[in-house]
Amino acid sequence: MAYLSMSGVHKRFGGVVALNGAHLAAEKGEVHALLGANGSGKSTLSKVLTGVVAPDQGRIEIDGREVRISGPEDARRYRIAAVYQELSLIPQLTGMENILLAYEPTRALGFIDRRTLEQSVLEVAARFEQALGRRIDLHRPVESLSPGDQQLIEAYKAVARKPEILILDEATASLRQAEVEALFQVVRELRDAGVLIIFISHRLHEVFDLCDRATVLRNGQTVGTVNLAEVTERDLVDMMVGRGVVTDVRQEAATPPRDEVVLRVKGLTGPRLHGVSFELRAGEVLGLGGLQGQGQSELLRALFGAEPVTGGEIEVAGRRVTLRRPQDAMRHGLALVPGNRAREGLMLGRPILENLTIASMRRRQTGPGFLSPRREREAAQGAVRSLEIKVGDLSDAASTLSGGNQQKVVVGKWLLNRPRIILMDDPTKGVDVGAKGELYKIIRQLTQEGVSVILNSSENMELLGLSHRVLVMYEGTIVDVLEGEDLNENRLVASAMRVAQPA
Amino acid sequence: MASTGIESAERRFWRALWDRLRVPTWVSYALLAVTVAVNASLQPFFFTLYNIQSNLNTFVPLVAAAVGQTLVILGGGIDLSLGAIITLVDVVVVTLMEGSMERVPMALLAGLAVGGAAGLINGLLVAYVRLQPIVATFATSFVWSGLALWVMPRPGGAVPRAFYRGYRDVFLGVPVAAWIILGIILLWLIIKRHRITRYILAVGGDERAAYASGVPVTKAKVMSYLLGGLFAGLAGLGIVANTASGDPYVGGPITLQSITAVVIGGTRLSGGAGGAGGSIAGAMILSLIGNIVFFANVGSHYQELINGAIVVLALALAGIPALRRRSA
Amino acid sequence: MSEPAQALLETQGSRLGRRPLNPVLIAFIIAVLLFVVGELVSPGFAAYSQIINVLRVSSFLGIIAAGQTLVILSGGEGVDLSVGAIVTFGAIIASRVIDGQDSMVLWGLAQALAAGLALGAVNGVLIAYLKVPPLIMTLGMASVVKGLILVYTRGQPSGRAAPIMVRLVSQETIFGIPGILWIWLLLTIVLTLVLRQTTFGRSVYALGANRRTAYLSGIAVQRMVVAVYSLSGFLSALGGFFFLGYTESVFLNLGDRYVLPSVAAVVVGGTSLAGGAGGYVGTVVGSIVLTVLQSVLVTLRMEESGRQIVYGLVLLALLAAYGRQYRLRQ
Repeated sequence: MAYLSMSGVHKRFGGVVALNGAHLAAEKGEVHALLGANGSGKSTLSKVLTGVVAPDQGRIEIDGREVRISGPEDARRYRIAAVYQELSLIPQLTGMENILLAYEPTRALGFIDRRTLEQSVLEVAARFEQALGRRIDLHRPVESLSPGDQQLIEAYKAVARKPEILILDEATASLRQAEVEALFQVVRELRDAGVLIIFISHRLHEVFDLCDRATVLRNGQTVGTVNLAEVTERDLVDMMVGRGVVTDVRQEAATPPRDEVVLRVKGLTGPRLHGVSFELRAGEVLGLGGLQGQGQSELLRALFGAEPVTGGEIEVAGRRVTLRRPQDAMRHGLALVPGNRAREGLMLGRPILENLTIASMRRRQTGPGFLSPRREREAAQGAVRSLEIKVGDLSDAASTLSGGNQQKVVVGKWLLNRPRIILMDDPTKGVDVGAKGELYKIIRQLTQEGVSVILNSSENMELLGLSHRVLVMYEGTIVDVLEGEDLNENRLVASAMRVAQPA
Repeated sequence: MASTGIESAERRFWRALWDRLRVPTWVSYALLAVTVAVNASLQPFFFTLYNIQSNLNTFVPLVAAAVGQTLVILGGGIDLSLGAIITLVDVVVVTLMEGSMERVPMALLAGLAVGGAAGLINGLLVAYVRLQPIVATFATSFVWSGLALWVMPRPGGAVPRAFYRGYRDVFLGVPVAAWIILGIILLWLIIKRHRITRYILAVGGDERAAYASGVPVTKAKVMSYLLGGLFAGLAGLGIVANTASGDPYVGGPITLQSITAVVIGGTRLSGGAGGAGGSIAGAMILSLIGNIVFFANVGSHYQELINGAIVVLALALAGIPALRRRSA
Repeated sequence: MSEPAQALLETQGSRLGRRPLNPVLIAFIIAVLLFVVGELVSPGFAAYSQIINVLRVSSFLGIIAAGQTLVILSGGEGVDLSVGAIVTFGAIIASRVIDGQDSMVLWGLAQALAAGLALGAVNGVLIAYLKVPPLIMTLGMASVVKGLILVYTRGQPSGRAAPIMVRLVSQETIFGIPGILWIWLLLTIVLTLVLRQTTFGRSVYALGANRRTAYLSGIAVQRMVVAVYSLSGFLSALGGFFFLGYTESVFLNLGDRYVLPSVAAVVVGGTSLAGGAGGYVGTVVGSIVLTVLQSVLVTLRMEESGRQIVYGLVLLALLAAYGRQYRLRQ
């Protein structure tokens, strides 16, 4: 009987199935890895465990008893703690104040027992500091600390709550080597003391370093559980993508790109970009591959003037340009379909018509600033027709549309501006299968007309199927360029995870 | 650097002192020193006991109001009905006193209770009914003002002489008002150590992160308004003692002044950072500026202008770091 | 924002205030109901001339709330608490410059409007570029303006309205309806047209609906913020000019009583304080509702204490009905 057992977990977000009967069995006193490619469901599974996501179906048992986890309070009761990559720290409070937030030891009447608090926190900190070789100043507001230190404080916070199940979800992304080591040392101590640690990461070398066993998910289902002493990195990659599957899925021969170079980027540098260089041709679909969060979104935003750039050159159609804000980029024929359509691509409360026309309204002015209702409506209807957007009425709020149709509206918004280069950041995330196919068709049509697309996608198959070439990114630089025969999933995943290629 | 375990108490004291000198609270303390200096230079008898005393007497209500407003703002809200609550407490206390010293303790307690109740209602409206703080407290300000008018339609009432005298007395060589202010400061220091204050700061800092961390968000918000109301009650008591009468229109300008004091004192209006120490300094600065204007013979016309200019200046200074950050 | 919290918010559903019915319609119905109540309590309350009178009084609140509507629509916790002071300043400037002479009317109006525009622009610049929170910026500006007023008048407001202004505002022109109501109607039409059919108007809504999306769609966010607050100052000064025409002389705090009610009028009219939805028509109805409510309470011969309490409670009820914020979890 496993200590922790999750079985038959199903979860659907709108039209997208995240978990399709996944299961997990783990023991006390082990470090258990949860692996899978982008979109495999591993993060969702861990969120079910911490009560942040409510599953549609599924059974969780801890120590033989069935438990119901419907929110953070339940997770607290069952002593489950998590360290996510995105933080739950209060920026203005100090590390000391954040680490035991809501768990402060108190004296009579609720006054904080500062001495005990400090003692407890320092005990936790000391466990890390030995391996770290330095102390993090716990008396400064956490917002003044480096991202790596903030991530460590988040780890202190989880450990300080004395969990019996500790989840680390991509917790090492912003940490440097020494910091990772310190974290791992504490994790090992916890494991030896009987804690179950679930470790989610893309960094296979870390997984092998730290973990005892691993469960692999693919497409929301559990592929299997292995003992890490008995497998290699390539075995895991095969499990994640499907052993020996032929991965070239381009249905039809894509129109090859034209010769004209529409965009040339040299040594683009910024806070999360370190010298990116490439060329883009007319009618080309250039994919950005690699693990998520390696700078793909930042690159797209930088090309749109929505991200600070500290060095490098950008040339559009042969001319050097400076893109300091989106208006500059728009003037040069660029468009950005952002990664988070609800927060960055749409105005959910506004009518669909406005969402479609907002970026191009200046083109259709009838006088200084005046808009003709008829022209606006026609433009919007044109977009709806050509993209086959299923709308009730153009004056309905954009929030009434399904995910796929919402995404089409964002694309439509930009097409009305006749861009030459469209930057797309994970355009089919959260979009149902039908709409996805239609979006693919739209992209293909655009390229036939000579429009270029730079596409970031969290789905490998989609990336490979649509792109003429793929630039694999890692920590803000391009580490591999895939085209022709190399354009397959095995190569893509291996490059993304920096797994050595067979000779 | 090797870890030395728990810091010695002495090191903690110096570090706490240094932390407290952080800008912009530091700026507000400096401003206070400046205004005192200017006052002293303009008023030849500034440092006489009588003068200090009458100044302190007028400080008390605003200081208490500023602390109350601070707590609400720290939690990410605002209370535009603070002045109205103070008014209500004022008339209730004076009415209950009926000029008799025996009734004073009961009246004072009733005043605090009224303040707390009003604050509680404000808090419930914002936290449970989820109304926006600005409009919700604006609406309740009418209710509190209306109630005050109903209790005492015209200024008046009788405050027992002993009570009135007692406020203006000196205890152990220090004016009573100074003791009261000291008491308020002490109260704040005590409240700071309670975990509810930390929860209030967390909610004001990042409500969603606080929720994810297990902080009782709703309770924290309600408490911030409740405490605000209690301090408003205290301010009302101060007004009774200072003016020795009830006035159903007295609280009007105090609301804005309390917000101004908080801003001058360095507390962020978005919540989550700051403290009542700066607000107390801010309250005193505001009152002293009134003095300066009066004694500089500049004409009372300039008082509001200077008040407003200071606020705008303080805000602009606080906002300059934002210029360097690129907006996104 | 933390990811777990965000996921919680998204998966368990967040609603930004459900609106089953058109809030403007609701407000309109409430206004009518109030007139009915008034008529029942005191026959003659809803007589034609009385209604016109109530409308005339509400027109000032309505004009002052026009700028407030724009500011609140633009989102970003936008609110303009300096409208009262700018109204006063505009009225006082106009009063002194015009001083009862028809020939000086345009010049006085121009000066008042210029002052309002400039003050509003200062608000906008500090809010947009120095990121000062609008609530406190405009509150501070109100104090500054009040101070400026005192300096300008040395405590003694002077001057008078010109006869042509008084005729325009108070006397009846067409169909027995005073000029100020026609002016209000004109303002309503112009403002609504601007909001619905210009790039400026679309940009205002976009700013309020989702500032990030607006930015990423090519809207010059900071310039728009400055423009919106400048307009608010401009419209407030305009309100002051008409107020002068109505009362014929000025006093120092004439605008104060309109500040918070202007915010309430906007909210009661269905515009959320979060911005991005609503319009001026709602504010017009909201102004009328608030004014009729006060009027009914006076007619009920309630003492001022009771009136205030009821006013506050009704406002709370309206807010609870359609002014609520999102939940953190269901």
